[in-house]
Amino acid sequence: MADSPEATDALAKREPDVPAHDPIVSWSTSGIMLVCALLLTFSLAWSLYDEAIGQRPWKKMQREFVARYDRYLNSIRERASQGEDEIKNSPEYQALDAEANAAKEKVQPDIDQINAEVKKIQPKLDAVTEPFQNQRGKLTVINYNIEQASGGAKEKYRKQAEDKRNETVAVEMPDDDAAGKIKVVKMDYATLEKTYNDLREQKAKLLGDKAEKSRESQELAKKRDDYLKNHLTILTPSQIDGVKKGLKSFDYSILGHQVSVNDYNIADRCEVCHLGVRSPLTIRAEDMAPGGPGKDPDDLARAFVSHPNKELLDIHKPDRFGCSSCHWGNGRATTGEEKAHGLNKFWLWPMFEKENTEAGCQQCHSKDRVTQGAETLNLGRDLFSQRGCMGCHRYEGFDRETDALTNARQTISQLEDQITANDKLGRQDAAAAAEATDDTDARRLLAHAESLRVTNSLLAARIDQMNLQSKYLMQDQKKVGPNLKDVRLKLAKEWIPEWLKDPQAFRPGTKMPTFWRFSVDKNGDHEIKAISAYLWQTGFDGKTPDQQKGDVNNGKDLFETKGCLACHSLGAEDNKVGGTFAANLSKVGEKANFEYIVRWIHNPRERWAPYCPKHKRDLTADDYKQAGKPFVFDTELHSKCPIDGAELQVQNMTVMPNFRLSETEARDLATYLFSLSSRPGREATAFMDDPNLKEQGRQLIKQFGCAGCHEINGFEEEQRIGKELTVEGATPLERLDFATSTQDAEQGRDPLFKELFPDRKEKEWYTHKGFFEHKLADPSIYDKGKEKAPQDRLRMPKPYLTDEWRTALTTFLLGSVGTEGANVPKSLFYDPQDQRRQDIQNGWWLIKKYNCVGCHQVQVGQRSILMDLPQYSTPEGKDLLPPRLTSEGARVDPNWLLRFLHDPSLNGGQVPAATPAAQSNAPVGNAPQGGPQSGDKYPAQPGADRNGVRPYLKVRMPTFNFSPNELQTLVRFFMALSGQQEPYIKEQLDPLTEQDKLVAREMFTSGTPCLKCHITGEPAHDAKAIAPNFLLASERLKPEWTFRWLLDPSQISPGTAMPSGLFKRDGERWAVNLPKPPKDVADYHGDHARLLVRYMFLMSPDEQRRLLSASPAPPAAQPAAQNAHAPRRRLGSELGWFRAEKTERRNTVASLRSQRPLARAPN
Amino acid sequence: MISKNTRSWLALIVGLVLFGMGSACGPKTSDNKEGGSTPATKKYVKTGKEGSISGAVAYEGTPPPAKKIDASADPVCAKNANLETEENVVKDGKLANVFVYIKDGTLADGTKITGLSFDVPSTEVPLDQNGCHYVPHVSGAQVGQKLKITNSDPTQHNIHFTPKNNDDWNQSQPNGAPPMTHEFKRAEVLVPVKCNQHPWMKAYVGVTKHPYFAITKADGTFEIKDVPPGKYTVVAWHEGPGNGTEKTLQVTVPASGAAKADFSFGAATAGAPSSLEMMPAIEVPIVGHH
Repeated sequence: MADSPEATDALAKREPDVPAHDPIVSWSTSGIMLVCALLLTFSLAWSLYDEAIGQRPWKKMQREFVARYDRYLNSIRERASQGEDEIKNSPEYQALDAEANAAKEKVQPDIDQINAEVKKIQPKLDAVTEPFQNQRGKLTVINYNIEQASGGAKEKYRKQAEDKRNETVAVEMPDDDAAGKIKVVKMDYATLEKTYNDLREQKAKLLGDKAEKSRESQELAKKRDDYLKNHLTILTPSQIDGVKKGLKSFDYSILGHQVSVNDYNIADRCEVCHLGVRSPLTIRAEDMAPGGPGKDPDDLARAFVSHPNKELLDIHKPDRFGCSSCHWGNGRATTGEEKAHGLNKFWLWPMFEKENTEAGCQQCHSKDRVTQGAETLNLGRDLFSQRGCMGCHRYEGFDRETDALTNARQTISQLEDQITANDKLGRQDAAAAAEATDDTDARRLLAHAESLRVTNSLLAARIDQMNLQSKYLMQDQKKVGPNLKDVRLKLAKEWIPEWLKDPQAFRPGTKMPTFWRFSVDKNGDHEIKAISAYLWQTGFDGKTPDQQKGDVNNGKDLFETKGCLACHSLGAEDNKVGGTFAANLSKVGEKANFEYIVRWIHNPRERWAPYCPKHKRDLTADDYKQAGKPFVFDTELHSKCPIDGAELQVQNMTVMPNFRLSETEARDLATYLFSLSSRPGREATAFMDDPNLKEQGRQLIKQFGCAGCHEINGFEEEQRIGKELTVEGATPLERLDFATSTQDAEQGRDPLFKELFPDRKEKEWYTHKGFFEHKLADPSIYDKGKEKAPQDRLRMPKPYLTDEWRTALTTFLLGSVGTEGANVPKSLFYDPQDQRRQDIQNGWWLIKKYNCVGCHQVQVGQRSILMDLPQYSTPEGKDLLPPRLTSEGARVDPNWLLRFLHDPSLNGGQVPAATPAAQSNAPVGNAPQGGPQSGDKYPAQPGADRNGVRPYLKVRMPTFNFSPNELQTLVRFFMALSGQQEPYIKEQLDPLTEQDKLVAREMFTSGTPCLKCHITGEPAHDAKAIAPNFLLASERLKPEWTFRWLLDPSQISPGTAMPSGLFKRDGERWAVNLPKPPKDVADYHGDHARLLVRYMFLMSPDEQRRLLSASPAPPAAQPAAQNAHAPRRRLGSELGWFRAEKTERRNTVASLRSQRPLARAPN
Repeated sequence: MISKNTRSWLALIVGLVLFGMGSACGPKTSDNKEGGSTPATKKYVKTGKEGSISGAVAYEGTPPPAKKIDASADPVCAKNANLETEENVVKDGKLANVFVYIKDGTLADGTKITGLSFDVPSTEVPLDQNGCHYVPHVSGAQVGQKLKITNSDPTQHNIHFTPKNNDDWNQSQPNGAPPMTHEFKRAEVLVPVKCNQHPWMKAYVGVTKHPYFAITKADGTFEIKDVPPGKYTVVAWHEGPGNGTEKTLQVTVPASGAAKADFSFGAATAGAPSSLEMMPAIEVPIVGHH
């Protein structure tokens, strides 16, 4: 027993070390399992959440949209029914309603009777139909059996058919006499058939009568309902209910709101969130405000609005174009605003910001000069050409004349080479023919030589045409800046370096950009000196004729009324008045020579000396003398080089037109401009005569590309120095040289932040938009910190741009992506093949080039600069505006327009006689007949001091010296804009009978006293006239347009002085709107307006004088004198020119057509 | 134990799935709340406590004398020997033809007057062409109120409204023609009226949304009646170069009371010159020119 406890002890002691440490027993994984399970659950929950909500933020938006839209629809429903009631209560609707009801009531008895008759017939027809159809069916079976049977069986069936026809059936016919009673009638098949057909015929006839009778009332009812539909500005209550009903079954999904265009690989889900885009109602942000319609909108409300331009959406249907094709961004993304808009870092082409939206238009509309509705983009294009960007940067399509001229010159030299080659070949052939062993060979070779000679004469003819083309192109080629060959004549010597240093300081807003290099470079001042020296030493040496000061008050009046302000401005900052197309003239007196400015105003196209592109130099009087020719050069007859006949540059390359002012007026104008400022004392600049500086200056001018905008001696054939920008917007971001600013741009540090966007948040600008904006705002930031030789460093000067302008140019560049960069396939690009659209775009280039829109409204909705000037905003001022050209093509005869554009004085190139006292303030007595006035240094100009069509306007249509090419382009533009067909064949008008004349005269003088306002050429009468001469009508106007004009001029030109309501509708014709028309007029039953048109178109000077003496206006003090302004004489003399011009024009067109393929051929 | 756990997990997961599905797929029927009421303008209802604004318009200094009009272009008009310009009709230092109206302000209860709408009177505002000038020279109409245009002259006129915010309207009205009516859809102070055939003929029509306007009589006095009590900006407009001259006063109309507003125009207080006139000329003063 002693060891038993021991044993027990031992046992007990040993027990613990038996099982070694066993994880299966001692470890529990439930903790880990729990964690894992929790994690798994969490991630499952998270993935479910993400699937349901996180990745689908649009779900909430869709619900929100439905709620808000429904609320908005409720809010307008009441207004809609109010609107409907209002229209229903309007007299027009009431009248239509009454008319419709009256018509309905009028025919109602007839209709009722017809209905009653139909009601009687119908039961009879019903009664007879079944028995008839039964019998007919049976007969058909028998007939089939006859056809199938053969031999005697046929006869059997025929007998059977005969029996069937004779069989009578009982028909339960309703009784005519006793209502509700039934009469049983026995009928054989023939009777049955006849009864059935008669009844059907009767019924059809009655129904036809009914339709005929009720047609009028139904049409009137439709007219009434259409009136309601067309006059409701919002949807009708029932339409709104329809939309609301649609919302009840709203499709909460992506697919239901996705646009996919398989052909172009477009799948845009923008409308998954932007649900209002295509709403039939115009939804504004405040309509969808979270607090209810009319409250403050939030971001969501702004996302729900309808597309701001429905018209645009109609043309570019989202089902065909998608959204992202225009707006860019990531159309497929639906997980968040940032991703969908492509604003995340790795999406290369983010959505255009709102201000640059129109960049999207440029992708496809890159061939347009003006794109309808894309005002920002159009402004960008304007700036690119007008502010001189294209002086350094090529952009396809912009440099039209220079490109065409280069082509023409290349073609000429190719043709010349070919002629030489042909000559050589011909001579070889001729030589070979002489040596030939065999006569046949000799004849063949001689024939070949002969054909080469003839070919050469044809080639020579083509060279002639190309020469003519290059003449026209040289005439049309312009520079953005002034001609710097004139500096010695024009400028104060000391002013030039001052200007070069900082043009914006002298003339804020000028086109001349700031060459910041001069301030950054160590020897910048020296560079300015060198450039000044080159310009000064290479300028034309000479002296403009001395001029006396003129009348400053008259000058001011001329400046404010002739139209100078359409392009030029005066005053600084807030007081600035006028256009930005050309220079601000407030400080001309500080820099320019008075005499030069007089000469310039008198005729800005008058060049000091012609430039010969062939000899690459300006010709001198000596060159002409040696050739035995007078030193005379102009675009008309003296445009060829006296040495070898090459075409010369004979005009200043400016777009400034010739206002056909007298020299006195030019003096007055210059005097006024010089009264606004005077020349300050400046430090002498003797260095400008230092010949050592000249060569350095030449290098610098080449480096900075001055010749892009200016004519400079020795740089006439200089090429552009900048990068081509045609597809700049498609440049990959990493290839845009942000230089040392890259990091700043990526991290949102903006050196120009304060200057550019003072009211925005500073943000990342490592984007195309950021690059362009910064480069345009201050190019020098991409040059900072660069280690390069001065000539290799950034040259782009800093242009003057307003915020609006910079946005416009950025928009233009962003959209300049070419075919490769576009988000749209090339097949969708806008490339009109029809002549009309091409004519319009070709015309826009010229309209913009010469700033026609400064004076004229060319297109509906566009405003001219003059329209917004204070002096033209008053009721009186509006009458003094240049004419609206919105319907010019429909209004005028294209042949006349061509003549007018060539010579707006309509004076046939005549130099005026002494200016009549009535037309000018100039002293008359000492003016010699037909020549310039005493003291004048320049010959008087053709058509001086007259307006061809509207002499009563002070503002003047100047002479632009358009080449025949441009004249034709402009005429075609106006015709195309008004949708006019070509060729225009003048409508022949019925000659007037004596009775017609009598009636028309009565109308002219009594009812519509036309001559109260229209000029006649009688000075005493015309002093108060405000409308064109009727004698011009037949040459100038189109009869159909004139007819429409007479009926309602305000439809064509709102605000015109010509009143509406001169004629009233009288049945099918228009009758003069007089309470008591004269007897002859009352007795004339034709169309009065049409008669008046004929009368106007067949007006003769005699007839007009006759009218004048009969009109209520006092007759002219003197009998009609045949003065220089009698339009008949003028028109006659013009025709000569016109015929010549027309032939020439035709030749030009023909030559262009024949030359075109060749000009394009590579060799 | 374990199976119980699994069951509860399973239940939880299934529950979550169902919940997720539910929230993903179940489009909540949007609760159709009461549609927010239309923010339409409130119609003013008379309270019987309306007051009035009255006063006189003075002309300081000597007005430029009226100019005789050369109407010889139309013999009918030439018969009216008294035709002269009507810019400054001044008698005993008081100015007629001034359009006085409430431009802005709030009623006693805090409503903005511009936010209220008013009944359009059915009476027509006369505008006659008589003796080759417009009578009256200055008139007023409410938006939507009809103007009745008559021609009492034995000659043809054309009536040409040249508004900025309304449609241009230019109608011929021959001798003996029946009256025409015209109305303006939008407030505009003032719409110039002219006749292109007789360029001297001018008139003005003030168009307001409310009936609170008056035109000074020959003695320079005016009274705007039935004005709801409140604080207003009252403007007096007198024709002149450009768009005319305006004078402004703050006026408080007490309940059933009368408020005073006296204005004065004159050579000394003439309107600012247009910006073109402000251009500097160094050598020759341009005052008096143009």
